Amino acid sequence: MALRGGSKTYTMEIEETIQNRVQARDAAMRLLNRLTTGAAVSALVGVGILGAVSAHTIPGTAGSSTASTATTSSSSSTTITSSGLQSSTTPVTSSASSAVAVSGGS
Amino acid sequence: MTDTLLWYTTRGAGAVSLVLLSAVVVLGILSVLRVQSTAWPRFLTAGLHRNLALMTLVFLALHIVTAVVDPFTHLGWLAAVVPFSSYYRTFWLGLGTIAFELLLAIVVTSLVRSVIGQVAWRLVHWLSYASWPVAVLHGFGTGTDAWSAWLFALQAVCIVAVLAAIGYRLMAGSRDPLAAARSSFQAGVDRREVK
Repeated sequence: MALRGGSKTYTMEIEETIQNRVQARDAAMRLLNRLTTGAAVSALVGVGILGAVSAHTIPGTAGSSTASTATTSSSSSTTITSSGLQSSTTPVTSSASSAVAVSGGS
Repeated sequence: MTDTLLWYTTRGAGAVSLVLLSAVVVLGILSVLRVQSTAWPRFLTAGLHRNLALMTLVFLALHIVTAVVDPFTHLGWLAAVVPFSSYYRTFWLGLGTIAFELLLAIVVTSLVRSVIGQVAWRLVHWLSYASWPVAVLHGFGTGTDAWSAWLFALQAVCIVAVLAAIGYRLMAGSRDPLAAARSSFQAGVDRREVK
């Protein structure tokens, strides 16, 4: 009787241990799912936030669809690049074979 | 408006991809070290490492697609596939292509690990130690914001985290639970051969 009672207790302890392990595993799986979902949402939000921060720091051009656009005037040149508006005060000369300087352009 | 939005998305997705890739490398090192506790079983590290690696590919795809379709840059799809084929910052952009392809190889071989075997998988997986620094160099060389304070800080955090994990791994040595059994078995075999 004592043996049967001891065996029953032993079996119950094993079942309890297995149940605890299963519960711990389920809890860890739930944590994994929460962490993965959190990481995905954070990454998506991160793209938005970091995109906005990058737009704030280096806004670049708006509405231009060409690689670069250059406008010239008689005394200065302006070049629009992907990293923003850059100005130069050096005069612009034409590279045409007739060596005619371009001036007064719009 | 659309092309600037694409450009901002490219930059945002690139920064997020670097953070995710760094997290993947750190988790990979921690899983090799068999880090665990009662609240944090070992499979959680491996599972998060796998999920974040797949997520990194998604955000890298976003980074690449938005860069390629951006009409301002005219990069073209070839530059996204063939390293050093871009007219724009050829070397630095080529590093990005290499980092992406290394990561793709690592993820694909991990998905077919049971088919190719443990040894081949491990050999390819060592490429992750090449993929991450190549990606960091790509960010420094190509990134419009590379030297902006916010991205510089983000990159510094990523570099410190990965270097700390590598240092911890080097100091911790092997965490093989069968190492003692293996060495005693080998010692027994050696004694037997001497006799």
